[in-house]
Amino acid sequence: MIRTDALPKARGALPYAPDVELPGMLWAVYVTSPHPHAEIRRVDTAGAREVPGVVDVLTAEDLPGLLPREPEPTRPLLATKVTRFVGEPVALVAAENLPAARAGASRVQVDYRVLPAFTDLEREFPHWPTPEEMRSHPQVNAHVHARRGDFDQVAHRADHVHRERYQTAMVAQVPLEPHACLARVQGDDWYVLTTTQAPFGIREDLADKLGLPQEKVRVEGTWVGGGFGGKNEALLEPHALLLSRRTGRPVRIALTFQEEFLFSRTTQPAIFWMESCLKDGKLVARRTRLLLDTGASLPGRDFALGYSLGFTLGPYRLESFELEGYALRTHRPPFGPHRAPLAPQCTFASEGHLDSLARDRGEDPVEFRLRHVWRPGDRTALGQPVGPFAAEAGLRRARETARAWKASAPPGHGVGVALGFWSTGTGAGGEARLTLSPEGLVLLQGEREIGNGSIWQGLPEVVAATLGVPPAIVSVRYGDTAHAPFDSGVWGSRTTAALGYAVAKAAEGLRRELERRAPGSGPVSFTARDGALTVAREGRSYPATDLMTPEERAEGGLRVEAKHYGKNEGTLEEGLVLEGEMFPYSDLIASVHVAEVSVDRETGAVKVLRYAAFQDAGKVVNPPGYRGQVEGAIVMGLGTALTEEGLLDPEGHLANPGLLDYRIPTLSDPPPELTIVALEGSLGSGVWGSKGVGEPPIIPVPAAVANAVADATGARVTVLPLTPERVSQALRGGARDPGGGRR
Amino acid sequence: MAYALHFPRSFEEAFRLLDPQGQPPALPLAGGTDLLPAVEAGRWHPGALVSLSRLPLATFERAGDEVLIGGTLPLRRLEREPAIGELLPGFAEALREVGSVPLRHRATLGGNVVRASPASDLLPPLLALEASLDLRSQHGRRRVALVDFLRGSWETTLQRGELVERIRVPVPRPGSYRWQRVRPANDISQVGVATALVTSDARSPWRIAAGGMESHPQRLSGAEAALPQEDPSPGEIEEAVHRAREGTRLKDDRRAGEEYRRHLLGVLLRRSITSTVERARSMKGRRT
Repeated sequence: MIRTDALPKARGALPYAPDVELPGMLWAVYVTSPHPHAEIRRVDTAGAREVPGVVDVLTAEDLPGLLPREPEPTRPLLATKVTRFVGEPVALVAAENLPAARAGASRVQVDYRVLPAFTDLEREFPHWPTPEEMRSHPQVNAHVHARRGDFDQVAHRADHVHRERYQTAMVAQVPLEPHACLARVQGDDWYVLTTTQAPFGIREDLADKLGLPQEKVRVEGTWVGGGFGGKNEALLEPHALLLSRRTGRPVRIALTFQEEFLFSRTTQPAIFWMESCLKDGKLVARRTRLLLDTGASLPGRDFALGYSLGFTLGPYRLESFELEGYALRTHRPPFGPHRAPLAPQCTFASEGHLDSLARDRGEDPVEFRLRHVWRPGDRTALGQPVGPFAAEAGLRRARETARAWKASAPPGHGVGVALGFWSTGTGAGGEARLTLSPEGLVLLQGEREIGNGSIWQGLPEVVAATLGVPPAIVSVRYGDTAHAPFDSGVWGSRTTAALGYAVAKAAEGLRRELERRAPGSGPVSFTARDGALTVAREGRSYPATDLMTPEERAEGGLRVEAKHYGKNEGTLEEGLVLEGEMFPYSDLIASVHVAEVSVDRETGAVKVLRYAAFQDAGKVVNPPGYRGQVEGAIVMGLGTALTEEGLLDPEGHLANPGLLDYRIPTLSDPPPELTIVALEGSLGSGVWGSKGVGEPPIIPVPAAVANAVADATGARVTVLPLTPERVSQALRGGARDPGGGRR
Repeated sequence: MAYALHFPRSFEEAFRLLDPQGQPPALPLAGGTDLLPAVEAGRWHPGALVSLSRLPLATFERAGDEVLIGGTLPLRRLEREPAIGELLPGFAEALREVGSVPLRHRATLGGNVVRASPASDLLPPLLALEASLDLRSQHGRRRVALVDFLRGSWETTLQRGELVERIRVPVPRPGSYRWQRVRPANDISQVGVATALVTSDARSPWRIAAGGMESHPQRLSGAEAALPQEDPSPGEIEEAVHRAREGTRLKDDRRAGEEYRRHLLGVLLRRSITSTVERARSMKGRRT
């Protein structure tokens, strides 16, 4: 199957945000902090203003008079007295063209006094800190402590307590299209065209940040060249709008790759101390202690810690557990969502630890998992009932595959298995508008297609299947937030599953309406003829548009609207002793992966040769789109597993802000043999019983690879990514692991 | 970053445009895969760029016991020359490892040599092959051995106004190149080791060079001297590995630690020697 947007994209015919121009448009370029932590003593813009072509320079001083009302106390739009990470915007220069804007930006003089920076979690915390140390630690942003039972008491009575430390790296989303937008303010119309996963989310965010009522903000999405969680927040849009407001002209900002690495919001390093207790061969308790670098995040605004901690327990039955973590405010870029935020990292720790425990005890790690995995009817560690969940079925398939590969693999190869679980955002709401018009069936959307096919292909598929016609007669059109129906956005693996629900309801509504209008009383069937919907009843068939009223004809068609606001059900268990915030799970999804690797014992190089994914699908809506999401997630996960790592130099600057040394997988890197199996039947709360697919398949990838390396070599690498250098050092023993943040 | 871009059709015109006294200097432009991003990033501020694309430099020729590679011959065309794979197997395998195919369609051997990147995958094999360069300027021509041409990281004895006309490589020479990277393709090598065999040297028939050093890629003459014969004994190979590891200053940077590079140098040297010995056997009878 060839996607209908593939050829125009390959030919460069579809405009992305940096391709759109408006007459009289200005270009704006950021002046950003070169220091992780510094006092700003003075910002001198005179030099920039002298550059021919420079029209305006915006600094924090200009903001107060510019905003309609004082915005919510969020992160300052431009740094005022202090900069808190390299890349934090300090000023912007707008000019008639890009070279003039760059020249102007290079002539803005900022007088900094460098302050001590906290950028290295590992150096600051070589050990799990004591409560006393943390009580007075100025960088603690959030603390979560949850327990059921008394871990120490269980450990005291246990036959064996397994203890390990895991560490994960800074990884970035790396969309191949960096952030870009084009803003135009005319009177009360604050309009911005931008590359985003969530136009309505951006509208709300902009209204907050600029102190505007939402109805004055109009956001139009463009085709999106990849988001992966990094395009949910208003990053450049506030600045472009403010500059447009001041200059009265349209303003474009388009980040370079280097800027994308420096100031987009991403995953920062984490350290996990894992402990598990065995009694009579059974896993009875686990304790996780987590230090999470959340970058220059805002005090009291942490969702990451409470959300991620639960993933470190895995989907396993435990009599008691203890979870404790600190989110630390550091002088790195602020933490932000990134395809299943932190779940691959937590699962690397959790599944690596489980695997190493089982191997230590001489038990097959898959059998060990099968003895403990949640089954429908169990309760999660946080107390929600486990509904339809295909973890056990996935483990059985993985066991079969792992055995077959192990039997056929040459000596020295290793086979590893890992199980990840996820809970989706199917509760977030969405609305659909389907129009029967002379041009066919048209869906109007705020979000543009982001690359995964969910908007462009998945939603038409739902309409077509509901009516029983081919998807080719359904098309998608786009509108800005003033015209398109509301939707929460393309995130949280929710688009096809949750927005698809609203779309199915709209298609159902259209079917009922046409049945009501069609003359006669027999059963109605639909077909497509010459690209148009055709209605057949009692031996007569005619174009569906014949059933439209003259008014509808005049207004462009018969419109049907529907909405779907799901529920995130569940409460936390009553017996849970909790300080801080945690969130109940809903709609559990399992991913069970198998990796076969070869390891060069001298150089430490790891090659993934065969890879299989058994995915808890519920029901697949769009099979090629489903497969594409799983393939993409696996390849992206292999980057996290093997090559991707944001490195800081000793002064706290990102040492590899570019595609040369921040190594995402290339086309020559995916495993030569890739098997993807959708396990259908454990139905979820999405349309037709579907479950989300964007995020779940990335979750177990680093763990599966590390477990395969352990199987091949007997050496457990507990630091991500598994670069040849780290693996080689683990194999040779002795040499100190360079740790995260160095290499 | 405005500059003029010229396309001279003759050497005379090119040398006039590359006037050594010009300020800011005009720079010769071959494939541009390294130079243009550097200009774009503001690391170079040329007065003008002088494209060499219309000069007759994209040539390849076998002349007696040498191949003559034109300075602007794209790497992709070079790697497809049957003579390269047949006569210089070690160089051929290094060529296939440079960047990506689209990049190799543009990048040139002359450009790679004059940039003198410490991480070049082509300089170690060219050093081991005892390559030399024909340089040309408005004052005439000169020939210089590559080993003397390289002066440091990003540093050569190339004069302003001077162009690489040809790279001369003696053939046939069994050899091999072994390298290690974090990501197998499209990445910079952490260490690269090239070995090659010559026939006429009383001291040692081995030529060994490596990249990933503290400075530019260099010959490892201590290791060469430990290998007095074409088919070395395991003990001799270990001695060569020992000398290479002990006698070499290696880089310590974000791409690899010094300790790991030293470890790799030994591993890759051992593998390269073994591979070259095998190739020498299969090339027997075709060597000069």
